[in-house]
Amino acid sequence: MNEQRRQVLEMLAAGKITAEEAERLIDALGRDQLQTSPGTGSGAKSRPRYLRVMVVADEDPAGEGSSRINVRVPLQLLRAGVRLTSLVPPQALSRANAELHRSGVNIDLTQLKPQHLDELIEHLDELTVDIDSAEAKVQVFCE
Amino acid sequence: MIPQLVTVGWRRRDGRWFRLYIPVLPVVLVLSPLLLLAVLGGLIACVIFKVSMVGALSGVGRLVWALPGTRFEIAEGRMGVLVSVR
Repeated sequence: MNEQRRQVLEMLAAGKITAEEAERLIDALGRDQLQTSPGTGSGAKSRPRYLRVMVVADEDPAGEGSSRINVRVPLQLLRAGVRLTSLVPPQALSRANAELHRSGVNIDLTQLKPQHLDELIEHLDELTVDIDSAEAKVQVFCE
Repeated sequence: MIPQLVTVGWRRRDGRWFRLYIPVLPVVLVLSPLLLLAVLGGLIACVIFKVSMVGALSGVGRLVWALPGTRFEIAEGRMGVLVSVR
């Protein structure tokens, strides 16, 4: 954990991240430490490893039978994918920004830092979506 | 851990599942000349688009390393598709 803190401080010193981002990362590391330190006990809840999406839809009017979607994605895979976004060249981001702006979506992709996405995935384990309608049941959760 | 076994399955019209078990390591070894070409092509693309080669290689490696445990299963009526990486 100390090694990770040192890396954050080095990134701050190198000017790769702002002081605010460094503070947020160190806070996240502190939370991590709090969650993992009591984890040595047998009764502690282990951290989720997978994002699960389950959809079960009843038989459609066309009589094609029921539909079922069961997707399990390792959270580590999401993290690895997020790291890849840092490789997107800035000129590609500015072109994507221009296209988004032209379509009426005012999102600045250059402001979307991998650290922010990392933080988003870090908190995915607390996400639970449960939709139960007459036609379908949708569940999104981490396990 | 790198993926060891990829299972690709689909349900036929008669309702029975057809599964194909693909051992990753032997297939990678057999296709290694083609993979080498693909890696070279990727590295050239990195140079053209000014992307860090080391970053791209480590990113793809991390992605492959994280694949085990992935599972996609979609079934609609009598048709169905399954992709699982172990």
